[in-house]
Amino acid sequence: MSGFQLVNGLAGLLIVTSLLVITARRPTGSALFYALQSLVMVAIFLTLAGTVGSHELTAWAGTSFVTKVLLVPILMTRLLGRIEDTKLGSGERIPPAVSVLLAAVVVVLCFWVVDGVSLPAAAAIKPALAVSLSHFFLGLAAIVTQRNILKQVFGYCLMENGSHLTLALLAAKAPEVVEIGIATDAVFAVVIMAVLGLQIHRTFGTLDADQLTNLKG
Amino acid sequence: MVPSLLPPLMLAAPLAAAIAIAILPARDGGNRTIEAVHVASGVVVALLALVSVARVIGGADLVAFGGWLYVDPLAAIFVGLVGVVGLLTGLYAISYVRHDVEHGELTPQKHKIFYVFFNLFVFTMMLAVTANNIVMMWVAVEATTLGSAFLVGLYGRRSSLEAAWKYVIICTVGVAFGLYGTVLTFADGAAAFGDPEKAVFWTSLMADAGKLDPMLAKIAFVFVLIGFGTKAGLFPMHAWLPDAHSEAPSPVSALLSGVLLKCALFVVIRYLAVTSRAVGPEFPQMLLMMLGFLSVAVSAFLVYVQHDLKRKLAYHSIEHLGLIALGLGIGGPLGIGAALLHAINHSFCKALLFCSSGNVLMMYGTRDLQQVKGLLRRAPASGILLMAGALALAGFPPFNVFVSEFLIFAAGLAQGWWALMIVTGLLFTITIAALIHIISGSVLGKVPETVPVGDVGWRALAPMWALLAIVLVLGVAVPQPVAHLVREATAVVLGGDRSAAIAAPWQTPAEPVAELAPRAEPRI
Repeated sequence: MSGFQLVNGLAGLLIVTSLLVITARRPTGSALFYALQSLVMVAIFLTLAGTVGSHELTAWAGTSFVTKVLLVPILMTRLLGRIEDTKLGSGERIPPAVSVLLAAVVVVLCFWVVDGVSLPAAAAIKPALAVSLSHFFLGLAAIVTQRNILKQVFGYCLMENGSHLTLALLAAKAPEVVEIGIATDAVFAVVIMAVLGLQIHRTFGTLDADQLTNLKG
Repeated sequence: MVPSLLPPLMLAAPLAAAIAIAILPARDGGNRTIEAVHVASGVVVALLALVSVARVIGGADLVAFGGWLYVDPLAAIFVGLVGVVGLLTGLYAISYVRHDVEHGELTPQKHKIFYVFFNLFVFTMMLAVTANNIVMMWVAVEATTLGSAFLVGLYGRRSSLEAAWKYVIICTVGVAFGLYGTVLTFADGAAAFGDPEKAVFWTSLMADAGKLDPMLAKIAFVFVLIGFGTKAGLFPMHAWLPDAHSEAPSPVSALLSGVLLKCALFVVIRYLAVTSRAVGPEFPQMLLMMLGFLSVAVSAFLVYVQHDLKRKLAYHSIEHLGLIALGLGIGGPLGIGAALLHAINHSFCKALLFCSSGNVLMMYGTRDLQQVKGLLRRAPASGILLMAGALALAGFPPFNVFVSEFLIFAAGLAQGWWALMIVTGLLFTITIAALIHIISGSVLGKVPETVPVGDVGWRALAPMWALLAIVLVLGVAVPQPVAHLVREATAVVLGGDRSAAIAAPWQTPAEPVAELAPRAEPRI
């Protein structure tokens, strides 16, 4: 099996893990699955680095491991582990089965879009590229379909992972600083969203996005 | 290109101030040292910004850190806005925040947090407009959201936390689209140039835009427009804007509306230039025109029905950003020049109005226009400032907004967009009515018996008079350096011709508007 095939296969695993992130009942569960997904991402980076001979990507795999597999999940679990909104339940607007079906539609659409890209760099890894694009939209869907504001944060994380994977696939030799910039920013974004989420929980006594409706018009 | 220390210094000053303030202790009633550091930083940034602008006008494009930071005429416009509006709103903030501390709305700790994040916010905006590295540009725009989120939620009330949450979630998600667009552009460039180090710079992308894959360039522009358009408050991604603008402390609202929206727009303009070169101007201009017109159309009605002064002003921001997008969409030297001039004019005018809304809040304790009556009799200076700001925003001469609005309409008519410009003009009459309503209902009229007479202090009024002076000067005659800068910046966007003059027909150097753009057949 060639390296590119392995990348495409691992990309398929990403879709499974992101569905787990979205359908997990509790935010801490989402954090765990997010760590798992990031581990798959790191594996993709390493495989790709070996296949195309990019030492930049090896370094990315390192920073991604630190920020996405360790830092973000640990921070989220520590910050969010104690708070809960029992009335909200899982906070899904649509049942998990529909979520899975919707994800399938997104993936098919993304495969169709990516098929039209004629970039030579993309030829061998089109399935993975389609997955990275669908990842982005799955994250967006997660934000729209989840009422629990903490799970919306994970929706953003999925979007960010999607862009990150696209970057790795299309420009494997991007300067290391580019990647550090994106990773640091994402960590800050997650921390700030989590802190705001905590403040909201303290003030409103709920994590339900539908309760945030004082401002209108 | 000239290597220069100015861009790094402009960035270092507010960052150093933010760190220094974070270290200083919070005291009861607010620590005066914190205010001194804050003012010093504002003055230094404004001076450095103006010196940079002067050097760029003198013909030198400034670069630093191996091309990572880059100030060309286009960037110089926005550097100037961050510097000057940042200083004036920063000065206004002193008395506003003191007032809030005295009235127990902010704790000494929050007083300190305000100044830390205010300076961080200025730093991130300055970083966004001086970035040449497109990834850093994205990082900076994302950082502006993170830097200002706590400012929006500063009061810790239910409504302000809700506004902060919506602001963060909508803008980060929006800007994630910007990241995808950035990544696509970068990957496209890396493949086309065969050199990833080069593809990360806007200047190289611009120079070799012809080599980019047209399909990817188009997709990337759509992502960029959705992403940074969210941050610029364009319809239909504008939902965060009225909440964030109304819940933030007034000086921050002024900065959000006056500068932040323009920083996001600046990034869109950068990509507009690259995309126009790669695939021709029709595709990006059509998108900008569509979003711009829709923003104007939707916000015009929302402005009218609002009774909350700051929300009303926020919807005006959406409308004027829409008009700027429309100008960019019309294109040509006149359309783009007029749009850039309108960005400058709207910044100063809106900063003045949001500071006015701050005065109203300090004196009446409410933003509800139905309860604010007789401002002119109660506080003549604040009354005149609010009235002048409202008339300026409504587009009356001799104020600055009139000039650039006129030019955008002229550009549209010269390009043959008759129906579009007429409808836009009609939509603007609705907002004029809304602004006249503010003047007749709240500035004029009798003071309620219960309200004591007296204005806010000179510390709040002085920066506002300065803003009004700028609004008037820009309205009477666009000063030569500004006109020159706008002309050069337009040339940067169009990638060439630096000859077209940007001035209304009655201003010097007078040139008939029709000669600037070729006459065209009506299109709609």
